[in-house]
Amino acid sequence: MNNSKLLATFIGMLLFFSCADNQKREQASNWTFKKEIQLPEIAPISVIAQSKFLWLSDVDNNRVVKTDLDGKILEEYPGFQRPMHISMSHSIVYVPEYTADTIKTIADKRVAIFPLLERPDAPAGIAVKDETLAIADFYNHRVILQEGDAVSTFGKEGHQAGELYYPTDVEIFNDKIFVADAYNNRVQVFDKKGNSLAIIGDKNGINVATGLTLANDRLFVTDFFGNRILVYDLEGNLKQILTEGFDNPTDISVVRNELFVTNYGNHSLAVYGLSLP
Amino acid sequence: MKKILFLTTVMAFLAIAGLNAQTSSNASEDQRVSVKVDGLACPFCAYGLEKKIKDIEGSKEVKIDLKSGLLTFQMQKGKAISEETIRNKVKDAGFTPREISFSETSLKTKENE
Repeated sequence: MNNSKLLATFIGMLLFFSCADNQKREQASNWTFKKEIQLPEIAPISVIAQSKFLWLSDVDNNRVVKTDLDGKILEEYPGFQRPMHISMSHSIVYVPEYTADTIKTIADKRVAIFPLLERPDAPAGIAVKDETLAIADFYNHRVILQEGDAVSTFGKEGHQAGELYYPTDVEIFNDKIFVADAYNNRVQVFDKKGNSLAIIGDKNGINVATGLTLANDRLFVTDFFGNRILVYDLEGNLKQILTEGFDNPTDISVVRNELFVTNYGNHSLAVYGLSLP
Repeated sequence: MKKILFLTTVMAFLAIAGLNAQTSSNASEDQRVSVKVDGLACPFCAYGLEKKIKDIEGSKEVKIDLKSGLLTFQMQKGKAISEETIRNKVKDAGFTPREISFSETSLKTKENE
């Protein structure tokens, strides 16, 4: 066997193993329905899943609760004004108060007001990563980005790229801002300067994209009226559609290999597990 | 002359009646306002509308029924609100207002009956 044949064989083997590895990764995105947890006392809008606990914003009852993984309330934080999509960073829970236009924090069982440099009109969602805080500013059709002492905004009312129509949730990932552009029925991705980088889900028949999360190299989007969760890779390619156990889903959180979805419609959580190859 | 007087009286009566239909009076007790709203479906919509109605001076006990699309709230006694203001607030919140009705009976009184 001459050198060129050896090289060709080597490249062929590399390609084979690369494809096998990709296939394994594709299989790893196979989420299957496990159970539904009834929450008769909670009207959940948003969820943060930790390894042993869940944090839920109970919008109808103006409170945030910490529960065990079966939904049993362990701690209750009343007195919020319509808490919506909550976020957690460095063990601090950030709570947007939709009807008060404020952000509050829960840390060490204490509630405090977080100072904002720009006032939103109905903050529907928040994301915090290190010093950066992003807010889905529902009635202003924009995102507020606060980094230390600096604040900027991007987006305006509309349906084109770069425009938003009633945004309800936001995530920060790799210096990109993912926005649940709810009534444009899509997710829109921005850089920190507000340049629109990508539009995801606009061709997938989403009927109000109320919530999103990023985990395991996947983007998860709630389809509120379609009663679905759409799972995309980070390039926006649709990888899976989850349909079982949803009733007006509003938010998603992933911990380890479990996915928790809040059902505002019937006051429950849908739980999915990741089927590993 | 009698005809003119009669017509003037009728027109004045109609004008007053029309005014009453469009504006709540400075009632001696809380007034209940009910508004049928189109397109009210998700919690972000419902609580957005709640927010806009709470901005109205004198409004309280704002309640929204998602399933029936009915918004109800109370106006403090002595606080008047026009139908136009309500319609504008509902539109500001992103919805289409339909029928609006005013009632002198407060919610509490009604519940106690």
